[in-house]
Amino acid sequence: MAELSLQHLEKVYDNKVQAVYDFNLDVKDGELIVLVGPSGCGKSTTLRMVAGLEDITHGRMLLNGKDVTAAPAKDRDIAMVFQSYALYGHMTVYENMAFSLVLRKEDPNLIHKKVLAAAEILGLMEQLNKKPSQLSGGQRQRVAMGRSIVRNPQLFLFDEPLSNLDAKLRSSTRREILLLHKRLNATMLYVTHDQTEALTLADRIVCMSMGHVQQIGTPLELYDTPANLFVASFIGLPPMNFIDVTVKGDQLVAADFTLTMDAAEKKLLAPYQGRVVVLGVRPEGTCVGKDFEMKVQSNENLGMNTLVYGHLGRDGKGERITCKLNGWCNYKNGDVVSISITKKYFFDKETTAAIRMEE
Amino acid sequence: MTQTQELQQVKCDRMRYTKDKFSANLVLVAIVFDALYFVSIYQSDVGSYYYTWLIGASIIYNLLFMLLGFLASEGVKSRKSTYTLPLLLLGVMQFVRMVYLPAKAHAASVEISGETIAVMEDGQYIYVLVCLAISGVCCLVAAVASYLNNKKLAAYLASIEKD
Repeated sequence: MAELSLQHLEKVYDNKVQAVYDFNLDVKDGELIVLVGPSGCGKSTTLRMVAGLEDITHGRMLLNGKDVTAAPAKDRDIAMVFQSYALYGHMTVYENMAFSLVLRKEDPNLIHKKVLAAAEILGLMEQLNKKPSQLSGGQRQRVAMGRSIVRNPQLFLFDEPLSNLDAKLRSSTRREILLLHKRLNATMLYVTHDQTEALTLADRIVCMSMGHVQQIGTPLELYDTPANLFVASFIGLPPMNFIDVTVKGDQLVAADFTLTMDAAEKKLLAPYQGRVVVLGVRPEGTCVGKDFEMKVQSNENLGMNTLVYGHLGRDGKGERITCKLNGWCNYKNGDVVSISITKKYFFDKETTAAIRMEE
Repeated sequence: MTQTQELQQVKCDRMRYTKDKFSANLVLVAIVFDALYFVSIYQSDVGSYYYTWLIGASIIYNLLFMLLGFLASEGVKSRKSTYTLPLLLLGVMQFVRMVYLPAKAHAASVEISGETIAVMEDGQYIYVLVCLAISGVCCLVAAVASYLNNKKLAAYLASIEKD
């Protein structure tokens, strides 16, 4: 397997549009890195640069310490799994999986052994004689993965491999990818716009927006200590609520409520006295209490929890807010609920950076 | 298990998932040589020698050969034993054809404007015979190869089921 180092990677297209800015990442051997971000953030472009399908405008790419920045895709020993599977419709599963090795003119008996081993791992033994059209979406994606596995590449790249699958299949295939990663102990780069996939699969997540890396860290780091407003809003479902508050003495004054700060918060926000900061509240960081009131618009029962949607204030004229409350709640439109905040996040209104205690 | 035995077993196991391209391609070669025969047999300008019911039958048989040959090619490619016998018959028929139309035409001559002309010159005769012979041999070899491979595969599958 492989270690990958991406140093100051940039991509500028011929029409002068810059898709990726100063991308730096060191991937350790056997690590699963997920690039996550909204459409157009440059994550797929980065992956294609790693695969050799796009030229790298600036920067360097090292694979196991060897500079492969200018190396053509075929010489990089990297396998890529696409969203659209990219299987040959006229070939059977066996032939699809064996194809790259046949092109390399490897010994047919060795190819056979490799294909059977990959099929065994992926649970495709019963499907080897079938054509892709006879398979479900999940099985097709497994064939696409099998085609990569037989090559035993240094690095696996996944470009939104689950996007074409329905919710149930996505969940099971996601687990399979995770098991595969553990079984092969392979170095993998995985691109998705689905933060659930990112949180569940990744050893580390690279969160991107507008071509810039916003934060690199473990799933817990991104969830628990987001670097800025973008990461805070992107990671977590439902997304974090943001409320403008003014720091006044030991109080946080919002348009619809006032909160008293504890000692740690006072210390943290001391430089922001008299200024407006953004208070971040995760829906799951709320409970029925007394910090503020919200006027309910609707609620969704999820079984263990209830998602309550509404607006701040008794009159419901404040900002939109979503709370995830424990248990089965039956609030009706117009009900007023008192809510407490169990965990607060603060962001600089101007720079959007998280306000954190200096380590 | 020795290395040779293991290799043999892997080879048999491969047959479960791979197509019999060797036999299938041989049949396609047979079709190509039949087509070469077909475009060559009527090329000599000998008046109306060929204008009998034979020309119709010959054309129909050629079309049938190409159609059945193609079907048999696809059949043996998928390792279907039912196509072995028809393929064998097609091969034998190519040899039977050698002694019929080409031989008759080679032996015949016609008189045009008081001049006696051979219907088929020696060169053309050898050419069409070679085309038919290659076509026939290809069919026969494909049939035999397909039969042997299918037999091996069946025995292997039976041994797996037994285990």
